Amino acid sequence: MAKRVTLAVAGSRKTQGIVEHCAGLPRERRVLALTYTQRNQCELQERLARYAGDHLNVEVLGWFTFLLRHFAKPFLPFKFPGERVLGFNFEGMPFRMATGKARFVDKSGAVYRSELGRLAFELITASQGALTRRLEGIYDEILIDEVQDLSAYDWDIVDALLGSAVDLWMVGDIRQAVLSTNARSAKNKKYAYAEAINWFRSREKKGLLAIEESAVSWRCHPKIAAFSDTIFDPSWAFPSTVSKNDHTTGHDGVFLVRSEHVHAYVAQYGPQSLRHSVASAKNLALDFMNFKVSKGATFPRVLIAPTSTITNFVRGGVSMDAIAASSFYVAVTRAQQSVAIVLDDPGMSRLPYWKPAADLERD
Amino acid sequence: MIKKIRVRGYRIHRDLTIYPNRKLNLIVGANESGKSTLMEAIVLALTGRINGRSATEELNPHWFNAGVVADFITKRARGEPQRLPEIDIEVFLEDVPELQELCGAHNSDTPTNACPGVRIRCIPNPDYSAELQAWAKAPSPLLPVEYYCVEWTTFADARLTMRPRVLATAVIDARTVRSTSGVDYHLRQILGSQLEPQERANISRQYRESKAALSDSAFKSVNERIGKLHAELHEQPIALAMDQTARTSWEESVAPHVDGVPFTMAGQGQQSAIKIALAMNKHAGRAKFVMIEEPENHLSHTSLTRLLHRMEALASDDQQLFITTHSSSVLNRLGLEALQFLGPTAPVKLNELDPETVSYFKKLPGFDTLRIVLADRIVLVEGPSDEIAFERVFTDLYGKRPMACGIDVMSMRGLSLARGLELCGRLGKKVAALRDNDGIEPDELRKPLAQWLKPGSREVFIGEVAHGRTLEPQMIHHCGEAHLRTILGITDKADIETWMSREKTEAALRIASSPERFTPPAYMLHAAQFIHG
Repeated sequence: MAKRVTLAVAGSRKTQGIVEHCAGLPRERRVLALTYTQRNQCELQERLARYAGDHLNVEVLGWFTFLLRHFAKPFLPFKFPGERVLGFNFEGMPFRMATGKARFVDKSGAVYRSELGRLAFELITASQGALTRRLEGIYDEILIDEVQDLSAYDWDIVDALLGSAVDLWMVGDIRQAVLSTNARSAKNKKYAYAEAINWFRSREKKGLLAIEESAVSWRCHPKIAAFSDTIFDPSWAFPSTVSKNDHTTGHDGVFLVRSEHVHAYVAQYGPQSLRHSVASAKNLALDFMNFKVSKGATFPRVLIAPTSTITNFVRGGVSMDAIAASSFYVAVTRAQQSVAIVLDDPGMSRLPYWKPAADLERD
Repeated sequence: MIKKIRVRGYRIHRDLTIYPNRKLNLIVGANESGKSTLMEAIVLALTGRINGRSATEELNPHWFNAGVVADFITKRARGEPQRLPEIDIEVFLEDVPELQELCGAHNSDTPTNACPGVRIRCIPNPDYSAELQAWAKAPSPLLPVEYYCVEWTTFADARLTMRPRVLATAVIDARTVRSTSGVDYHLRQILGSQLEPQERANISRQYRESKAALSDSAFKSVNERIGKLHAELHEQPIALAMDQTARTSWEESVAPHVDGVPFTMAGQGQQSAIKIALAMNKHAGRAKFVMIEEPENHLSHTSLTRLLHRMEALASDDQQLFITTHSSSVLNRLGLEALQFLGPTAPVKLNELDPETVSYFKKLPGFDTLRIVLADRIVLVEGPSDEIAFERVFTDLYGKRPMACGIDVMSMRGLSLARGLELCGRLGKKVAALRDNDGIEPDELRKPLAQWLKPGSREVFIGEVAHGRTLEPQMIHHCGEAHLRTILGITDKADIETWMSREKTEAALRIASSPERFTPPAYMLHAAQFIHG
């Protein structure tokens, strides 16, 4: 399989694809599956146990654990002779001007999460090939799920993996890149979020990897899929989503709801309410979930409290920047059957308004 | 494959570095030179265990190098902030794909070097630093090991709790009589490695089932009886059943049998021969490293020869052997090039020996090569009469026998002087070789030996042609016939040269024990002066 990346749409069963891939591999093949979020790690582990439990050579690690175990720990002496990694500092950050050891490691010897990527990357070169050789000796194949969430030096590390003899398969949905492994670093900012697509395309041009598109969504109703395709400006050149959800309920697709009807709507359909963050949609007293948190989840119906950027987009088609588009894309694609957006002034939107039955009769 | 071993602060080894051979290592040294300690150290680092028990359990103050501890005490007494004594054993492995899990830069190499390896250290436990500081104010030679911890890690700085599978090690110790109760830990390891995982599981399952069957059949009537018996005393019925807990697993009740006789009933020599054969036998799970302590013990000469022959046949590139020995037979037979000599200063390897010399000594297992290896300085002579005469000359000169000065006088008994000199040369030994001129000019005789000679450290001493072809005429010439007749106590009727040549050893013995003054041949005198230095 060599080196490839599968760019998938939301609801395309990415994780299941990895699980089935592992189940189909020869038992002796040594595979490392990497994920970014804790939730996905548990999910992957649980599903692998179910579908590929007889494959004892498949190992699941979080991205940070991977960098600690195979980069920082074994090879730290190449940067700081005689030193050891004594822990992982998830919250802390070095002083902005810190140099040398203090840049990477706190007083108790724990590596800062924010600097781990850089440390790992620098050790690849410092180890004079030993680090890459070690990985090649331990694994035949590395799988990276949610590859869109990598950032900064992580991309350079992936570059190094592309140059190794280990087979590499990355899976991700560039449109869902709402989390970043390193929020502060300025490194590779141009690849952050949805712009990762450009990174892959440039590597493809150099012949380092093959890009595969997986545009089939098993989750979203065709109307929701079509709407989700409009969120990103056509200049991104994302392929159109093909929906395989042929289920109908009588209330399928994307709707607008006036604030006065929200409670009636919630009472009738019981959607999961989504908002950007705790600061948004304070006027609505609903049991909200934040966009970021909803990542990876599936709901039959969702109700979205839009941000002003989303409002402008829905009303007049004003294109959104990558970050805003990503988070709105995540919210929309959580739904299987219906998406309702709370909006009082439709502007130029052609989306249908939902009204309670009583109102419809009055009309 | 082990590329390098470094032992620091462990027992006799203050700082020892060994570069083992790929296949075979014959560890040789005088008593107390630390051969067994080196083996122990290797096993500790590879398996985390010593005699089958974990290092943490076994840690005791005597593990620490006495010199390091003494230094620590004197320096602390002087108020210097000397670091607490530590033990650090590192095993550097070959940089091959299957060992990469163990690869990392946590080793003592400078500049920083990444390679696969394992390391075991006994270091002060940071949890007890206050107690240790208090103790260090008035330290005693017995370290408080309670405040120490054992850290067993890979070079990747990952802690080890179980021996990694790639480091399968078999330990065979023929020196001591082990427990008579059954199969010891090391043998169980060797036996275990003979079985495929499925076979193990199968045996284990059937063993458990047959035990269960026993409970249902043989114990049935018993259980019916005691079930009733105890009902009055105790609420729940009591029954007997075979113990199915882990400590009664099949491994505990299995013993190899030799020709129908339980292994432990076999002779000591046979036991170790079987262990060696099992450990070296070619099968999938066989040990990567085999450590054998003194295989010659408890074996007759013929049995040893047979065993060595089998070991030679089984030796292969995917197994690295470490053997300690006190036997020249083992050394010659398995190949002198495998020698690792733990000398008084630094360890010496002997792997650059001419292959012809190696095979020369292989054919002569009886030759006492170990004497050359172990001697401080050495005198090579042709035969027993030269040996005896030299002893007398040396003792006359210095008032002590050569051995008392660390000089071993060895008779080559017709073996090639060149081979002996090559061996001494490779070992860096100071050597004086004496030979008869047999009517040939000494300079001519020196020519073929020239490459092994080095003025001041390896020299050949030969009598002048004019003074006689062999030792006997040389002695007559230097001593004077009349005086020599007195020393030897022979009559005027006998021809002295004929008598001496016929009774070589007897003549030498008479010279050695004679109270008369003895004037030695010049070349022998020079040899004695040279070797004494």
